[in-house]
Amino acid sequence: MKRHFGIFGGRYVPELLIPALEELENEYKLAKNDPRFKREFKYHLNSFAGRPTPLTLADNLTKKLGGAKIYLKNEGLNHTGAHKITHCIGHALMAKRMGKGRIIAETGAGQHGLASAAVAARFGLSCTVYMGETDIIRQRPNVFWMKSLGAEVVPVRNGNKTLKDAVNAAIRDWIENVDNSYYLLGSVVGPHPYPTMTRDFQSVVGKEARKQILKEEKKLPDIVTACIGGGSNAMGIFSGFINKDTVELVGVEAGGTDSTIGKHSSRITGGSIGVVEGYKSIFLQDKDGQLQKTHSIAAGLDYAGLGPEIAYLHSKNRIRIKKASDAEALNAFKMLSRYEGIFPALESAHAIAYAIKKAPRIGKDKIIIANISGRGDKDLFIIASAFKDKNFGSFLKDESERREYHE
Amino acid sequence: MNQSEGSTMNDIDKKLVVIRNDNRVGIMAHLVAGYPSMKKTESIAKTMANAGVDFLELQMPFSDPIADGPAIMNACSRSLAGGTKITEFMKSIKSISKNVSVPLIIMAYYNNVFKYGVDVFCSDAKYFGASGLIVPDMPIDEEQSEHFMGNAKKHGLYTIRVISPVSTHERLKKNAKGAEGFVYCTSRQGITGVHKELNNNIEGYLKRVRKEFKIPLAVGFGISRKEHVRTLAGHADVVVIGSAILNIINKHPRNEEKNVGRFIKSISGIKVH
Repeated sequence: MKRHFGIFGGRYVPELLIPALEELENEYKLAKNDPRFKREFKYHLNSFAGRPTPLTLADNLTKKLGGAKIYLKNEGLNHTGAHKITHCIGHALMAKRMGKGRIIAETGAGQHGLASAAVAARFGLSCTVYMGETDIIRQRPNVFWMKSLGAEVVPVRNGNKTLKDAVNAAIRDWIENVDNSYYLLGSVVGPHPYPTMTRDFQSVVGKEARKQILKEEKKLPDIVTACIGGGSNAMGIFSGFINKDTVELVGVEAGGTDSTIGKHSSRITGGSIGVVEGYKSIFLQDKDGQLQKTHSIAAGLDYAGLGPEIAYLHSKNRIRIKKASDAEALNAFKMLSRYEGIFPALESAHAIAYAIKKAPRIGKDKIIIANISGRGDKDLFIIASAFKDKNFGSFLKDESERREYHE
Repeated sequence: MNQSEGSTMNDIDKKLVVIRNDNRVGIMAHLVAGYPSMKKTESIAKTMANAGVDFLELQMPFSDPIADGPAIMNACSRSLAGGTKITEFMKSIKSISKNVSVPLIIMAYYNNVFKYGVDVFCSDAKYFGASGLIVPDMPIDEEQSEHFMGNAKKHGLYTIRVISPVSTHERLKKNAKGAEGFVYCTSRQGITGVHKELNNNIEGYLKRVRKEFKIPLAVGFGISRKEHVRTLAGHADVVVIGSAILNIINKHPRNEEKNVGRFIKSISGIKVH
């Protein structure tokens, strides 16, 4: 297996972790070609996660915008509400295969943590999830669900208290417990072989979408777009179209509130090449190489690093990278809800925002597929407050007085 | 140019010879630069050198130190919050190396080195008085793309390899090839930090390492007491004290030098039985 994507990727970890990463790579090479593993993976994707997810023509939105036809790959219909369950099943099967009884995960928005907790419960593994304190506050419902699934959720209080710090904490745990624990890294980031493995597991999204659009339209789309935090949902759907140059692949980063440091998470706009958390890629960092603060209304995009394969494909001009602001994402959320009856996660709303902007500018004969990486239920509190919903605010206040939450 | 062997020897090697001739366990003491302040770092370093340490390991604070436990992590973020920059770090290397006679070893995460420019980093580090580098997240496998070890060598700096109890025979062999100075053996599979007990299997592990490495062994991670050093005497050539020093600094603000100095004296000079 290749360790690098051009100059990106690699395995920049302390010697302590190299035996574990080598073991994982070797086992994955075997599993990848093992018909039984493939069969089991597919079985759980279908019977547990609910795959395949539908490709939905957003005809109201398309009509409203008056341009390209917009299709939605609705990953939000997966069990636990996002694409994350797909690679979690793959990794959990690997953990079982390797005889590890415990999984360690980190989470930003809580979707990867939730999916990890769910597969852990399903496959009889114990599960520890690291989550930045800031993310715990803004994604409280997911914390509750993770705990309900039996996972231990550990708040991370150092650094920026967001996803990157959760990744660091998870790596530290893994370093200490490498014998019995499997690190279920939540995106196409980190040291080799994680970016490759997670992309492989997620590539089922792209395969499905390709098959579905060919069935519907008898041709491939002109544009496929997905939001990019680390890049797992993007690499998943892009991999189905990557070998076809006529399909434009557009990743959408979090533009946040503006382009000053700490107000966005657009690595392509403000980042530079670095080596952090075990991989070489583009990071939001200062000139000394210290990671900078990031922001996005979507916790899952609020991350200083970029999947190394995405950095590589961007450098080769195979992927274009755009950004959408917090406000554009909220607007996209509103439009998709009103016109299509779908709540996208705030992360996914960034991809929708791009599709909304792009569709009217290109012909009606064009096709855009936007990946809805997850559903927006988890964002209830953020959205209600962003939309200044007074009724919901007073409901929350009353509810906390009405119910008994203490022992 | 023909130089005598003594003058081409790295200061690290020279010191290792002294330690061996003294028949004692060497001490490498670690500090996070800029914690609690750059001024303090410099004065504590000086105190430690006077108290008998053989090597000083000065860590450039990093925002995302994955191999470090709470004490060092906290020191890194406090130092960075206090405004520590690499240029300042280099200046502190210069000022410490002027004031002390023990070899200085820089510990840094690779991103700081990479962003500074690997060649320039090595050249400046050497120029300002460092003798070696410990960069834990720059494994030998990535050398082909990074030329880190090559650049260090070019500028006369040793790159200290770090290995662990789970390092396989193959990894030990790979790391032993071209290893310089001493090899840093983490006492346990874990991150930095103080532990009450040392790893029980440490002797077997160190024996395994010694089979592959022809250079002295330094043991670090979790060493905080005189008994630890005594236990390691005869198995390790050097012990590394890190988080234990930070804990003393944290416990005795304003009086760091005196307390750190006393601690160093208590653990240095332990003979190999």
